Amino acid sequence: MHPQLQLLVALQDMTGMIREVEEKGSELEDMGFKNAGLEDLKRARQELEAKIDPQLMGTFRRLTDKFGRAVVPVVGNHCTGCFAQIPSSFVSKTNAGKLQRCESCGRILYWP
Amino acid sequence: MDIAEVLKNTSPELFLPDLKSSDNASALAELVEGLTTGMDIKNPDTILQMLQSRESLGSTAVGPGIAFPHGRTLAVQRLTILMARSTAGVDFDSEDGNPTHLFFVLIAPPQDMGHQYIKSLATLIDTVQDADLRDKLMAAEDYETFCAALRGE
Repeated sequence: MHPQLQLLVALQDMTGMIREVEEKGSELEDMGFKNAGLEDLKRARQELEAKIDPQLMGTFRRLTDKFGRAVVPVVGNHCTGCFAQIPSSFVSKTNAGKLQRCESCGRILYWP
Repeated sequence: MDIAEVLKNTSPELFLPDLKSSDNASALAELVEGLTTGMDIKNPDTILQMLQSRESLGSTAVGPGIAFPHGRTLAVQRLTILMARSTAGVDFDSEDGNPTHLFFVLIAPPQDMGHQYIKSLATLIDTVQDADLRDKLMAAEDYETFCAALRGE
């Protein structure tokens, strides 16, 4: 996987986790989970952002604002953001390790 | 959601009967390795990083000798539950300071809109409150016996 994509996926996962704690924190606390480290996790997210290429980070933010999630998995050769078919050339050996975006919606593609 | 419904998200390949790890960091790595072996996961580091982030919020060892590492990640396509056991116990930063012997790892995709994994988490936490059940889980000979004990059979 492209190293910057790995960082973007981690960033998106972390952002989702922070949002879940902010939105459903009381439900999780009722189950016994403590979320005392929320501010530390927010700082870790900032540190992660600083490791991402600024131009790519700008793209990630724009896509997140537009779609909610900037990075989406490819399942069955389809972008799960817009369900457009992903050309088989995208997964060729020469493209392995490249950062790929859906030609239809522009979301960043991730092969789980 | 009942426990039988929750157990549809696991399988014999996702059962680790005796963890070797003794501390938090190595246990998380061993649990993720178990997930990778038990299903087709290409990016285990993504899952490990997510679980480490979750533990940084606060230890998920919230039950008596039980931990529930959990979270959402792009690395999986459906709710997946790995169950593991440690005879010796793991120092998992539990609130009571006691070692953790049972692990229920719940990994969900971000698009789990119905919050199935939170409902599954709540069911598992409720189920394992019973001390006799925890004894049965520790003594279970295999995956089938372990699941049968969880189902109250």
